[in-house]
Amino acid sequence: MNPEQKERFARHIRLPQIGEKGQQAILDASALIVGVGGLGSPAAMYLAAAGIGKLVLSDYDIVETSNLQRQIIHREAAVGEHKVESGRQTVRALNPRCEVDVISYQLEGDELKRVVSSVDIVLDCCDNYPTRFDVNRACVATVTGAAIRLEGQIMNYQPAANSACYQCLYTHAYGAEESCELEGVLGPVVGVIGTMQALQALLILAGQGEAMVNRLLLFDAYAMEWQAVTLSKNPGCPACAKT
Amino acid sequence: MNISIEFYASLMKYLPPGQSRFRRDIKIEDGLLLNRLIESYHISPAEAHIVLVNGNYVNAEQRESRELAEGDVVSIWPPVAGG
Repeated sequence: MNPEQKERFARHIRLPQIGEKGQQAILDASALIVGVGGLGSPAAMYLAAAGIGKLVLSDYDIVETSNLQRQIIHREAAVGEHKVESGRQTVRALNPRCEVDVISYQLEGDELKRVVSSVDIVLDCCDNYPTRFDVNRACVATVTGAAIRLEGQIMNYQPAANSACYQCLYTHAYGAEESCELEGVLGPVVGVIGTMQALQALLILAGQGEAMVNRLLLFDAYAMEWQAVTLSKNPGCPACAKT
Repeated sequence: MNISIEFYASLMKYLPPGQSRFRRDIKIEDGLLLNRLIESYHISPAEAHIVLVNGNYVNAEQRESRELAEGDVVSIWPPVAGG
């Protein structure tokens, strides 16, 4: 770590749980962010600010005016641009030393597996079950967030710790896909969940993910309540039962 | 027998009238099974995605045979998608 990096990340390095070793692990790490919307916005920005070495941003969508109330990585001037290009500009402005790759089409199939396997951690910030299942089946460290209306949840999958995975909890798609477009969402709710995803990812990358194994966090903003749940691996899980 | 129920997020609509946004203290018959309690509020199995008793996760199979006890707190959350 050079003197500029030591100054920039001094408040991280000061923490005994991170230190120079943890910060170096973050600097050397790469992350795939699937979905650069409400969850992916704060997730990408906090990881870039924290010094992550490389981000791969994946989203096929275009920035729309109705996104701006919550997708804080996108500026008004970016309406009409690909979300990944708008996201890249914000990330590069925050931290020019963060390498950014973008994928502006639907990431799926073999290519999804290849990209997922090429990074150290995945942040699942998407808005649909099929993509979440595809990411989960690729079996790499993943932090999954979901949020809609005034509710949200975060969980993580740490294969090295033989933890429960997303499909231990969500075995199949649940009914009609709900969307923020139809149901609504209060902006900071996705901000809270996306920020928690970045926090969990940084702790996992710094080697401090042990306390999060098999932990599901549920958030109800209207009740202003959090609930932490201990999960067990599902022996009949369609994704991880054999691993 | 006295227990408490907590219905979160979109399940709050199933709560009987009361003060708290998400919690009610109720009386039930001794030995009531967890699934029977959930059914009595007309919450479908798909909606009752995450069910906790005293903060501990109870999976769908276990809910069939789990008897409730005095003082239990039953918390129910729906599935959450979107992002």
